[in-house]
Amino acid sequence: MAKLWAIIKREYLERVRTKWFIFATVFGPIFFGAMIIIPAVITKNSKGSTEFTNARILDATTSGIGQRIADIMNRERQPGSIPPQVIVVKPSELSQAESTATQQVMAKQVSGYLVTDQRTLAGEVARYAGRNATSLGDMERLRGAVKEALLTQRLQSAGIDSSRVRDLTFIPLQLSSERITDKGRGGSGTVSIIFAGGIAFLLYMSIVLYGQNVLRGVLEEKTTRVAEVVFSSVPAETLLAGKVLGVGAVGLTQQILWVITTVIMFKLRQPILAKFGVSTMPFDLPEISIGLALLLLLFFILGFIFYSSLYAAVGASVNSEQEAQQAVQPMLILLVATAIFITPILENPTSRVAQVMSLLPFSAPIIMPLRLALGSVPWYELAGSLIGVFIACLAATWFAARIYRVGLLMYGKRPTLGEMMKWVSYSR
Amino acid sequence: MADNTIEIDNAVKRFAEHVAVRDLSLRVPRGSVYGLLGPNGAGKTTTIRMILNIIAPDSGSIRILGRPANDPKITDQIGYLPEERGLYRKMQVRRVLRFLAELKGMNATDADSRIDEWLVKFDLKTPEKDWGLSKIDELSRGMQQKVQFIGTLLHDPELVILDEPFSGLDPINAQALKDTIVELKQRGKTIIFSTHLMDNAERICDSVCIIARGEKVLDGAIGEIKRSHGTRNVALGLDGDPTPDVSAVLSDSTLVDRVDDSNRYFEIEMAKGADPQDLLRRVVATGAMVNRFEIVLPSLHQIFLEKVGATGIEMGMTGHG
Repeated sequence: MAKLWAIIKREYLERVRTKWFIFATVFGPIFFGAMIIIPAVITKNSKGSTEFTNARILDATTSGIGQRIADIMNRERQPGSIPPQVIVVKPSELSQAESTATQQVMAKQVSGYLVTDQRTLAGEVARYAGRNATSLGDMERLRGAVKEALLTQRLQSAGIDSSRVRDLTFIPLQLSSERITDKGRGGSGTVSIIFAGGIAFLLYMSIVLYGQNVLRGVLEEKTTRVAEVVFSSVPAETLLAGKVLGVGAVGLTQQILWVITTVIMFKLRQPILAKFGVSTMPFDLPEISIGLALLLLLFFILGFIFYSSLYAAVGASVNSEQEAQQAVQPMLILLVATAIFITPILENPTSRVAQVMSLLPFSAPIIMPLRLALGSVPWYELAGSLIGVFIACLAATWFAARIYRVGLLMYGKRPTLGEMMKWVSYSR
Repeated sequence: MADNTIEIDNAVKRFAEHVAVRDLSLRVPRGSVYGLLGPNGAGKTTTIRMILNIIAPDSGSIRILGRPANDPKITDQIGYLPEERGLYRKMQVRRVLRFLAELKGMNATDADSRIDEWLVKFDLKTPEKDWGLSKIDELSRGMQQKVQFIGTLLHDPELVILDEPFSGLDPINAQALKDTIVELKQRGKTIIFSTHLMDNAERICDSVCIIARGEKVLDGAIGEIKRSHGTRNVALGLDGDPTPDVSAVLSDSTLVDRVDDSNRYFEIEMAKGADPQDLLRRVVATGAMVNRFEIVLPSLHQIFLEKVGATGIEMGMTGHG
C-alpha cells in the first residue's frame, strides 16, 4: 500500500506542478467568466449605450413632440451621460440645421440627430442619422420613445389628463419564461439546461484530457524504460492503479477548483456586471443536493477509470505518439459519439435515445449525470446504469492490466489485435 | 541463511513464438560477482526478469535469499539496472531518486540523507552546483547514467542485478562502475551482471554462466572453468607482421586446432596430440621474431567460442569489447 501511495503521489504532484495545470486551472474560470460577462456586455451595448441620449432632436413641428421625446429619453438616461437637446426649427431651415448637426456628429460632439416633422406627427416616419445608427438596441429604444411620445400626445388631445397619461402609458414589462417538459414545470428552464450541459461537457472534457494524459504517461514510462525499473519493485497492476488514481485525482482537483471559482464568479456576477453598467435580473444557481453531488462524483470516477485504463492499454501497446494517435481512434469515436448526443438529450432527456445512452457503459458516465442534473431519473434506470458502468469498469481494468503488463516490456513493432489478445491470455 | 543468493531449478519460459528459457538451473553463491554471459537473444534478459519476478516461469522454481522469487519481501532486497536506461525526463533528480527509494520501501527522510551521500560520491553535488535540483533532461548522458546507478543502490540491496551495465559508458564511468562493483562485493553483496563482453567478465567475475538459445552451456567459478578447458592453449607474440610462412605453420591442422588471430598476437589451441614445442620450433624456423611464447589457460572468450560456436556469433556475439 505504501508503494501504491508513492506512485499516486508521484503521478499527482508531478502533474499539479506543471505550468500547464496551473495555467488551465487559473484561466479556466476566467474563460468561463468571460463567457458570462462578455455576452451580457455585448447585449447591453446592443440594448442601448450611454451614447443613446447624447443626441439632437430637430423638431420641425410646432407641436412640442421633440420635447416629449426628450423627456422620455431622459427617463431612461444612464447616470452621467449627456441629455438630449431639442432644437425647434422652421421647415424651411431644416436642411440647414441638418447639415450643422451632421458636422457636430462628425466632430463627435453628439452621437446623432433625430428629425421630427408633419409625417412624424401623422405616425408615418421619423428620421435618425448618427454614429449609433447600426445599434439595434438604440434604434429600438428610439423608436419606442417616439411611439410613446406620439401616443401621449394623442391621448392628451383626446382629452385625457396629462398626469393620467403618464400612468397609463408607462408599462415597464419584463417577460419571465419558465420551461415545461414531459415531466412538468422544471424551475427556471434555461438555468438547469446550462447546468446539466455544463456538467456533461466538464465530464467529457476531463475524460478526454486526462485519459490522454494517462496514455502519455504510460508511453513515457515505456519509451524511457522506467517501467522496467518500477516493475522490479511493484507488480504492474500497482503501477497501473497508481497512475489511473493519481491522474484521476489531478482531474478531480481541477474540476473542484473550477466549480468553486465558477460559483464564486456567479455570485459576483451582478456587482461585476454593474461595473460595466449592466443591471441584470437576479440569477439563482441550481440547488445541488449532497446525494446528487455524490452520484456525479461516482459517475466521474467510474467513467474515468473505464476510459483511462483503456487509454493506458493503448499507451502500453504502442511505441510512439504517432502510433498512439492512430490506436486511440476507436475510443475517441465512442467519446465523440457520446458528445454528439449531449444537445439532443438536453432537449429531450426522457427520450428513448437518452434512456439507451445512459445505459450503455461507454456513454453512461456522461449522459446519466446530464439526466440527473436535469431532473429525477427513475431509480431502476439509475441502478441499471451504475451496475453497467461498474461491470464495464471491472472488465476494462482487468483487460487493461494484462495488456499493460505485457505491452510495457515489448518493444519494436506495434502488435496486431490478435497478438494483443494473446497477451491477455499470458499468465505472467 | 542459504549459501546461495539465487537458486534456479529447471526454469522454463515460453512465449507465443518461441521458448526463451528452457530447463535452466543455476546457483549464484552469496557474496560473489556473477556473470551471465551469452549472445543477444540467448535468454539473459528473460532470466533476469524471472529473477526480478517481473515475469514468472512456466515451470521450475526460483529462490532468492532463501525465499521464493514472488515473495513481496524479496523485491526490496534487490537493486536492478536495466539494459536500456531512462528516467522520468521532466522530473527533478532528487524527486526521481526519492520515488525509486519509496518503491523499495524506504521512507522519504531516510532516502533523502542517502541521496545526498550518493550525489556527493558521484560528483553530482559539489559546493558549486547541486545537480540534484536539476531536471533529468538537463543532465548529460553520463550524469543520467550515474543517477540511474544511484537509484539502483540507494536502498542498499543484498542483490544487485545489472543488465549490460558497461554498454554506453564512457571510460571514466566504466571505471567508476568497476570500482563500485568491487566495493559492493567487499561489503558482502551479491552482484549479477549480464554482458556479452568477455574481457570485462573475465576480469571482474568470480563465477559465470554461459547461456545460448535459452539453455545453459556451462557454469562455475572462472578458475575451474578455465582449468577444465585444458592446457592446450598457447599465447604467441611476434615482432612485425606475420609472414606467409608463419601463416602456413598456423594453418597446419595436424599441429593447430584453432587460432584467434589478433594480427601480432595469437591465441592458439593445439591439435590433439600435438606438442607445443614443435610449434615453437617451426615458428622460429620461419625466421619470425618471437617475443612471447607461453602455455596459457584459455580465455573466457576462447571457451565461449568453443562452446557456443558459430550460431552464437551469427546471433550477434561481438567477442572482445
